[in-house]
Amino acid sequence: MVRYVGKRLFYTLLLMLFVSLTVYFIFDLLPSDPARLGCVKGCPDSTVELNRIKLGLDVPVIEQWWRFILGLFQGRSYGTGDATFSCPAPALGYSWNRHACVTDVIKETFPVTLSLALGALFMWLALGVSLGILAARKKGKWQDKASTVFVLVGTSLPTFITGIMVVLFIVLQFNVVDPLEIGIWHSPFTDPVGWLQTFFFPCATLALAYAATYTRFTRSNVIEISQEDYIRTARAKGLSEKVILRKHTLRAAIAPIVTMAGMDFAALFGGAVITESIFSLNGLGKLSIKAVTETFDLPIIVATTLIASSFVVIMNLLVDIAYAYIDPRVRTK
Amino acid sequence: MSFNKMTKGIFASISATALVAGITLVGAAAPANAATPTTGGTLYYYSHQEQWAAMDPSLMYTGRDMVWASAHIFRNLTSFKPAPGKAGTTLIPDLATNTGVPSNKAKTWKFTLRPGVTWEDGSAITCADLKYGMSRNFAQELFEGGPYYAVSWLDIPEEDDGSSAYKGPYVKTGQAAYDKAVTCSADNRTITYNLKRSVPDFNYFTTYPASGPIKKSADTGEAYGMKPLSSGPYKIDKYEINGTMELSRNTKWKKSSDPIRTPYPDKITVRFGLSEDVRDEISMKDTQKNGVNLDGLQLNNNITFFTNQNAVDKARSINTDDPFTGYLAANTSPGHLDCVQVRKAVFFAYPTAEIIKANGGTKFYGTPGDNPVKPSMGIDYIKTKGNIHDPNYKIEGNPTYAKKLLEEAKTACPEAYDRATNPEKGLKYYRADTSGNKTMAVIVEEALKKAGFVIETVYKPSGTYNTELKNYKKETDFLGSGWASDWPNASTVLPELLGEGCCNYTFNKTTKEYPAFKKILDKALVELDRNKQAKLWQQASQYAMDQYWYIFTVFNKSQEVWGSKVGGVFYWDLGSLAFGNMYVKK
Repeated sequence: MVRYVGKRLFYTLLLMLFVSLTVYFIFDLLPSDPARLGCVKGCPDSTVELNRIKLGLDVPVIEQWWRFILGLFQGRSYGTGDATFSCPAPALGYSWNRHACVTDVIKETFPVTLSLALGALFMWLALGVSLGILAARKKGKWQDKASTVFVLVGTSLPTFITGIMVVLFIVLQFNVVDPLEIGIWHSPFTDPVGWLQTFFFPCATLALAYAATYTRFTRSNVIEISQEDYIRTARAKGLSEKVILRKHTLRAAIAPIVTMAGMDFAALFGGAVITESIFSLNGLGKLSIKAVTETFDLPIIVATTLIASSFVVIMNLLVDIAYAYIDPRVRTK
Repeated sequence: MSFNKMTKGIFASISATALVAGITLVGAAAPANAATPTTGGTLYYYSHQEQWAAMDPSLMYTGRDMVWASAHIFRNLTSFKPAPGKAGTTLIPDLATNTGVPSNKAKTWKFTLRPGVTWEDGSAITCADLKYGMSRNFAQELFEGGPYYAVSWLDIPEEDDGSSAYKGPYVKTGQAAYDKAVTCSADNRTITYNLKRSVPDFNYFTTYPASGPIKKSADTGEAYGMKPLSSGPYKIDKYEINGTMELSRNTKWKKSSDPIRTPYPDKITVRFGLSEDVRDEISMKDTQKNGVNLDGLQLNNNITFFTNQNAVDKARSINTDDPFTGYLAANTSPGHLDCVQVRKAVFFAYPTAEIIKANGGTKFYGTPGDNPVKPSMGIDYIKTKGNIHDPNYKIEGNPTYAKKLLEEAKTACPEAYDRATNPEKGLKYYRADTSGNKTMAVIVEEALKKAGFVIETVYKPSGTYNTELKNYKKETDFLGSGWASDWPNASTVLPELLGEGCCNYTFNKTTKEYPAFKKILDKALVELDRNKQAKLWQQASQYAMDQYWYIFTVFNKSQEVWGSKVGGVFYWDLGSLAFGNMYVKK
């Protein structure tokens, strides 16, 4: 197992190198010129060139990338003369737009997205899986029909509609949160109430669409497994339905749910952009979208892409490990 | 000051809009109520933006941001009187004892610091601080995008590539030349600026934070804007991008040294990064009664809120002329709209009424303009002859008259006529690919086609439009933009937009009419008699309008909203609400 994990981590590292290089090349191909961005009023060409040097865009792409790689290990310096400053290792670059080392920006925004993703994950698993099990056990009855309605509504309503409705008609209407506190970060360790106030509704909004999908998936999974021979055998041996569900059915049903949940959770680190924007959350999604569409902030783009990619890869690995734990047959392979 | 989109909600997002002061003939709104101001409480501001466009003084060039910062944390040598209407454009001393002493035909300016002016750490503000603050404008490797006046005007040699020989205080190349151009008296209280040419309105530039003092020992370079040292009545306790900025009283600030500012609230908090819907909801429903919307409302919400207002909403909002002028410039370079008869025909065919209506109507967007200089500029403005005052002008467009003009162009300039009417050639209009622009394009194309023009709209990616503008403006026949003067003098309008300045999208320098126009501008720029100067600006405006270098001009309007518990609010002709006078009602 240790060797297996080690091998996977090594390949992850190689993949991250490739991803970072790709981002640099794609950015170089874009038609925009970030060196001119701060010069809407039209700077002289000499100033634009100085800006290009400041942004590190005056050297070939491969050199830009290599500087980034070196910075991860030895830090990087910026500025000139008395205005020289540095970002310590691991330096992901400097954001001239946010006036901070990218590492510090990520430290600020990562917990926000993590909170949103974890909270939503917990909600959609708790709601989706339990509703799915209930619907499977009460197949054909009103509980099953109610869950079908929930699935239809949850999958039909896009997040931006649900989010705006929640913000305008619940949060602001009933003054659940001070309007100017919406989206403000509170640490769950020092201010759990504030954290909950900030994240409850965004997590619920994000979880709604996922919960609907997981309800449907869990229901069909449980129904399918309940018809397996070994379940019939267990029933024939006199085990109660509760015990059959808990000891046999769920264990088989949970494996694909774990896989799906892992991937969905990882994808949120690519940015739950819409939810973060509607609820004014200062997370990775909002950070990356602004860097791509408005500020052309290459260091931020590289960092957020790497985080998103690494989360997908790492979650893949964790899911595989969890799968091996849940299904002993996988271990022997 | 320029912007590339014309909706109010986008003004604040443009990184380089400049401060303007204008004289309004109509008169800005009186303060929201005439009650006695109350001290104390927390005043809130809120915005969709993630941060101020810049809070580093050397980079500040957005009108609203400069007004806000000057009201709370940055004092400058001069300022404007905090009063509504015409009085609000009066230049008054701030850190200085007077509004500056020019000599040598305004090529030299001297200012003396008031006694008792201090930083938030209690140390005195000195001439050395002023000198250092001004020197940072030359560090173009860090502060590109800020006002360029110091670099253009101070008497320092230029290099072959046009850049200054002085490279700023961090690199110090050319420091001797800078030290010669800007000097301090022995007592470190009087600063002298030596300029390359006469600049009669130099003391208007000294209202800018870019010209203000910075304490060298407090300068953290690139990140200074995150925690600048205050010279005003408040200091910054916290500034988080996409979060909050919190200000508390600067206990070292003395009212005795500052006759301008009236810091009523105990605390000030700015909330950034709100979604636009949340921001608008807060404003429209008055959910944050002691809060001020920094951005305005989205267009549809704007119309909803300002239509059929009740008394309370009316008292906490304003709909006013603002300093901005929107315009559509004609590319007059060879191979484009290089014939005045063709340009005139486009002018008269242009569907001004529909364009204004699509942007919110005359009530919210603005009214047709007759001058690049707005009426609020006072003596520099003139009601020009011709253009919208021509008897043939119709606000909805006059295709019949435009056709007639086009016929005249057939003989006067056959090549230009052919380009404009030949189906295989035609006029091209490069626009950013947005749904709003697509709506405008249809309106304009239909109107011009009725007059016999062939026109094609070329859509370019909106995300890169601004950065690629330098290339597009050479290819397009039309370019829309907007402007507001940096201070109440057309010296920051006409030369910038139609002369040698930064933002001349007409390429009129290639026309035979340009030399005469430039002569008027050059004369006006160095004219020391203000009234004579105003007459020259008026002459230049009429000349420009006669050439139809601008196809369309609109005098823009702004709408602002604040909470019902905010008092002392009025619109300052500098282009924003007068933040420094606000208080929280009990």
